[in-house]
Amino acid sequence: MSSNDPRRIVRSYEQELNQLRAMMARMGGMVESQTANALAAVLNRDSEAAQQAMEQDPEVDAVERDVEGRAIRMLALRAPMAQDLREIVSALKVTSDLERIGDYAANIAKRSLRIGSGDAGLSLGALRNMGRLVQESLRLAIDALSQNDEAKAIEVWNSDKAVDELYNSMFRELITYMMEDPRNISSCTHLLFIAKNLERIGDHCTNIAEQVHYSVTGELLPAARPRGGQGSERGFHLDPDDPEEGAQDDRDRDPARGVSDQGPAGPELGSR
Amino acid sequence: MNDQIGQNAAARPQQGVSFAQTRGAPQALAPGRAMLSLRGLDFYYGANHALKNISIDFPEQRVTGLIGPSGCGKSTLLRVMNRMYDLYPGQRATGEVLLDGQNIIAPGTDTNALRSRVGMVFQKPTPFPMSIFDNVAFGVRLHESLDRAAMEARIEDALRRVALWAEVKDRLRAPAAALSGGQQQRLCIARTIATRPEVILLDEPTSALDPISTARIEELLDELKVEFTIAIVTHNLQQAARCADQVAFFYMGELVEVAPADRLFTAPREKRTQDYITGRFG
Amino acid sequence: MSATTTRLGAASRHVAPEAGRARRRRFANLAATVLCAVATAILLAALVSILVTLVSRGLGGLHLSTFTRMTSPPGSGGGLLNPIVGSIIQTVLAVLVGAPVGLLAGVFLAEFGTGSWVADVVRFVSDMLLSAPSILVGLFVYLILVGPVGHFSGFAGAMSLAILVIPIVVRTTEDMLRLVPTSMREAAAALGAPRWKVVMLICVRAARKGIATGILLAVARVSGETAPLLFTSLGNLSWSVNLNAPMSSLPVTIYQYAGSAYDDWVQLAWTAALLITAGVLIINIIARLGLGGRDST
Repeated sequence: MSSNDPRRIVRSYEQELNQLRAMMARMGGMVESQTANALAAVLNRDSEAAQQAMEQDPEVDAVERDVEGRAIRMLALRAPMAQDLREIVSALKVTSDLERIGDYAANIAKRSLRIGSGDAGLSLGALRNMGRLVQESLRLAIDALSQNDEAKAIEVWNSDKAVDELYNSMFRELITYMMEDPRNISSCTHLLFIAKNLERIGDHCTNIAEQVHYSVTGELLPAARPRGGQGSERGFHLDPDDPEEGAQDDRDRDPARGVSDQGPAGPELGSR
Repeated sequence: MNDQIGQNAAARPQQGVSFAQTRGAPQALAPGRAMLSLRGLDFYYGANHALKNISIDFPEQRVTGLIGPSGCGKSTLLRVMNRMYDLYPGQRATGEVLLDGQNIIAPGTDTNALRSRVGMVFQKPTPFPMSIFDNVAFGVRLHESLDRAAMEARIEDALRRVALWAEVKDRLRAPAAALSGGQQQRLCIARTIATRPEVILLDEPTSALDPISTARIEELLDELKVEFTIAIVTHNLQQAARCADQVAFFYMGELVEVAPADRLFTAPREKRTQDYITGRFG
Repeated sequence: MSATTTRLGAASRHVAPEAGRARRRRFANLAATVLCAVATAILLAALVSILVTLVSRGLGGLHLSTFTRMTSPPGSGGGLLNPIVGSIIQTVLAVLVGAPVGLLAGVFLAEFGTGSWVADVVRFVSDMLLSAPSILVGLFVYLILVGPVGHFSGFAGAMSLAILVIPIVVRTTEDMLRLVPTSMREAAAALGAPRWKVVMLICVRAARKGIATGILLAVARVSGETAPLLFTSLGNLSWSVNLNAPMSSLPVTIYQYAGSAYDDWVQLAWTAALLITAGVLIINIIARLGLGGRDST
């Protein structure tokens, strides 16, 4: 909300919205640091960072539930309209995107512990690039979110293509390694999933960007966004509901999260 | 909701589009014929310029909601459309109010005949001091002479349409004032539709009613719009959102924005609209 | 925390003047209540003493013969039949003439004359009439209906009462019509009803109980009038229902009998006073209970 707006008549409403914005920013920061830790765990073989990334996950989940609760409360009690409505609905969706990013980061951290120490030289250069790109996207997306910056949102939205392309080339590279030496299969599979998780984090950043854009302008971005290559054709709807992707990706997720908690929005959301 | 957006994602056009346009058909305004068209309407209470250069269409078979702060001119607009202002000296309108292409604010218009075509329901229920039957018959008798059977049929039809028949059919001769507030307001709507108007104007029809009676009236509007062109003034934004197909926002005698309801309430184009519906100092 | 203590401190500082003000308020309240009670007691005492005197003096003379016998010379055991009938005839005729005129004038003032100078003049004259001494009305009717004809008449009496009825009905009709909400007029007009139908079918109907109450109050008012009748119907000691001849009435009979030297006439005067009071009381009760209650239907 730009600062030159006249003041809202109901001040407690404004306060609640500000609290919601603050929580979103805080959650963004948590997820950003979690992702950084996860990447450090993989790239620097840092098991402490891995541990941290995994421990951060329940905190992120808790904030998500809090944000959801507040957003639903405001929808019910304030009957928001126009920009307020868009902002609250966006918060609901963005919070679940952030939570998923957190999940992916935790998963990356967990996998980093399973990659054998002997495989260190394997393909980490490409992963490093991808990680940098995704981190940059995430940072931009969270900036766009906390500053209601539509231009940054579009930048994120456009940058996902590069991530997708990197993922595709990494995919081919890892397949080659595996074909060369079957002993690499275990590590490569983990790396492949890590790359996939990063790619998914990129997708969620795009979702966040789309939400920010909608929240600020009231217009939806077009369905087809710039993206690279195969395997990633889907709407901006989240993957876990996609049976094929879900089989590969989500079953392997943190087992602590039950099967019932598939969707981005928990069952208490009641929006579906 | 996720599903809907998911589906829309596939069908969405390439360019950025408004949320409203991607929503289902019933919300979007079909290019229906405009039953009432205002063109460059100005209205004065004496020297007070109450409506400034208003141009707006009221499409057939649609509910148009008029919102805005008190004194913004929305009720005045209703009172122009059936020339209610004629009752008071010193009030005048210039411009065009076209009902079926005919300018009804031109001098020489038969206002009584006009009011049989453009009915009005008021904020407070106003049952006449007579029986339920006579209340509904009052307007009909003014314009038509029906025989007894036809009149009874007409009255039953009107009462059925406002879902009041079952409640009053055994006491049609009882005084209307004995009905509850919500029933009285439905009676007033029945009284209006019994004269078979083309347009129905409602001036905050539920502001004196409890939520259940309000819901009944809103449901009723949904049914009535199949047959009538409806304009409703309301202070309740949620009500406008629930009932109206298109919503017009007035501020200080000006029409600021008119748009399909879902667009106006999710993504208004005008800052003044946005400030009003999000509850800010204007 | 510190904010709370500050606020508490501020509150305690205000305790003393707060208590003083409360005492003053209690005293003022008590004083006002006592004054009102005393005023009410005085009024009630006056009213009760009048009623007690009236009943104690009048009830003794109330027999069946009061209603069946004519007035007759002292000592011959007369009744009040002819004054009762005369009063009824003149009052009814006065209402029949005065009420419609007053009603229509009231409708004019409330519905059609708003803002016009004619209405302002009519309202002013009507209010003058309402507060004019009734003896003036009697004198006026004497000048136009008795003088030229050469004799007193019941008709002239009825007309003078009618003139008293008119302003009362005008006032109540106008007031009652003004109580009909504008929204009801607009609702009727919005159905396409022309002005006169709105007024006659809706407004007058909505105000009918108030208007009827007004007429009843007018009846109550004129049935006790003496002064205008003295100059017009004069009074008649024998039976007469001829409107063209002097006619008896209760107030005039009281006037004539009460000052006489005969005990039985004085007794009859008290009885007549009791009858008028009872009649007025009954009319007032009817007006309040039967008609004044719900005006909305």
